[in-house]
Amino acid sequence: MSILELKNVSYAYSVGTPFAKKALDNVSVSFEANRITGLIGHTGCGKSTLVQLLNGLLSPSEGQVLFDGQDVNEKGFDNKSLCFRVGLVFQYPEYQLFEETVYADIAYGPKNMGLDEQEIDRRIRTAAEFVRIDPKLFDASPFDLSGGQKRRVAIAGIMAMDPEVLILDEPAAGLDPVGREEILGGIRFYQRRRGNTVIIVSHSMEDMARYSDRLVVMDHGRIAMEGDCAEIFSKADALTSVGLDVPQITRFMLALKQRGVDVRTDVFTVDQARDEILRVAGGNRHA
Amino acid sequence: MLKDITLGQYFPGNSYLHRRDPRAKIVASVLYIVVVFLCQNLWSFGFLVMATLGIVAVSGVPLKILLKSVKPLIFILAFTTVYNVFFHTGETLLVDLGFVDIYLEGILFAVIMAVRIICLLVGSSVILTYTTSPIMLTDGLERLLSPLKRLHLPVHEFAMMMTIALRFIPTLIEETEKIMSAQKARGADFSSGGLLKRVKALIPVLIPLFISAFRRASDLAVAMECRCYRGGEGRTRMTKLTFTLSDGLLLAWIAAMGAAVVLINLYLPGLSL
Repeated sequence: MSILELKNVSYAYSVGTPFAKKALDNVSVSFEANRITGLIGHTGCGKSTLVQLLNGLLSPSEGQVLFDGQDVNEKGFDNKSLCFRVGLVFQYPEYQLFEETVYADIAYGPKNMGLDEQEIDRRIRTAAEFVRIDPKLFDASPFDLSGGQKRRVAIAGIMAMDPEVLILDEPAAGLDPVGREEILGGIRFYQRRRGNTVIIVSHSMEDMARYSDRLVVMDHGRIAMEGDCAEIFSKADALTSVGLDVPQITRFMLALKQRGVDVRTDVFTVDQARDEILRVAGGNRHA
Repeated sequence: MLKDITLGQYFPGNSYLHRRDPRAKIVASVLYIVVVFLCQNLWSFGFLVMATLGIVAVSGVPLKILLKSVKPLIFILAFTTVYNVFFHTGETLLVDLGFVDIYLEGILFAVIMAVRIICLLVGSSVILTYTTSPIMLTDGLERLLSPLKRLHLPVHEFAMMMTIALRFIPTLIEETEKIMSAQKARGADFSSGGLLKRVKALIPVLIPLFISAFRRASDLAVAMECRCYRGGEGRTRMTKLTFTLSDGLLLAWIAAMGAAVVLINLYLPGLSL
């Protein structure tokens, strides 16, 4: 079942000026509910524009954005509540922290929703648990935290709004491997626990291979491919043609196959690769 | 929304005016302003308008863009025109409304004042800001003011501050838009409620903006120090400004314009104001 859907959507910036630029060109795509979808594409392919259309910050020049089957830009639709139902975490969200304490900053979104103190407190604690922020840090200034912690506090600020769809734009950008694992692991934990819909924008194939269920590949303002990870990563040539690459381990398996080892190549995590190699090697031993 | 604000007016091009030394253009625009105030009768104003149109034609900046820059002044223009029409006295009475009289001289004077303001704005901005990039402008200013260094005024530092400020305005605007969108995604509302509520709503934008501005400033300072920047003393330039004959000619042209205006004032005294 799809929860968010774009129908023939086009979007252009600075319409009517010499700087007009088409960011999305007749895009139709749907995002399935209760799964993690990875939105991947080269820099400037329109990923960030697309996610801002999804939560109503931008309105399409042409076409429709449907949330639960309803057009979000239609008059009757409560556009204001859309940003609470479709939570969007921007790139480098740590730069939007502003409160005196971590607790108050996470509370900003829920407060804007008009919830009562008790509910806000409950949500803050749950969100902090998802992103592994120790309640001991609640009274600290967000500006005293480390980069990774700041990022996680900012993400908690959106999770605390309890959105039906959580969209994260490059949540792991600029972090070291441990930081990436903490953030993406936290998001996966959140999704598995809540069972709601998550969309992660990224250009890292490795991360997407590990953390997403489904992939949408964008190229120059259009949808190039969509499908589950195995399906997408088996099309190495098509990915390369849109400036992307398959995960390293898939490339390794492809190379192995070229050398004449009969392995499957729709493998995209190290664990799968190990099993597959052991299977083939084991089979050879018996032969 | 914020992107619609035009910053500086530089209109890229390669006209005669674009290629002139910024120092010459700064002096020329000051000279031009003097010429505007030298005009004393209708003949000289007519000459001024023609000459200004000539300068605009040479600059290659479309007239449409220039008139856009006059737009914000429409209120002041309308006010001075109306004011002069009603309160300037003269000899030829046209309308007597009892409480105000309208004289032919008043109408003429009002038109002249409007023309003077428009010429002042269009002429000086075409000579200087439309045809000189902000970097060249500060460069020229620094060189023009360099004699003040003898008085131990930090001319280079001022010019550097100006350049950096100009460079970062678009960056800060972009940043503001990003932070505003991010806070909107958290339910911030910037467009409803009373004044106090709206000002309060800006706090979540201003604090991150200040923090990032300070961070950028300190990053830039470190980057400049890493490249051994230590102020203007002994600093040489990659592009040296050269004052050529054509630059001198630009000044001569404007001076000739002034001389023509003075002569017209003297020998064509008709329609004097």
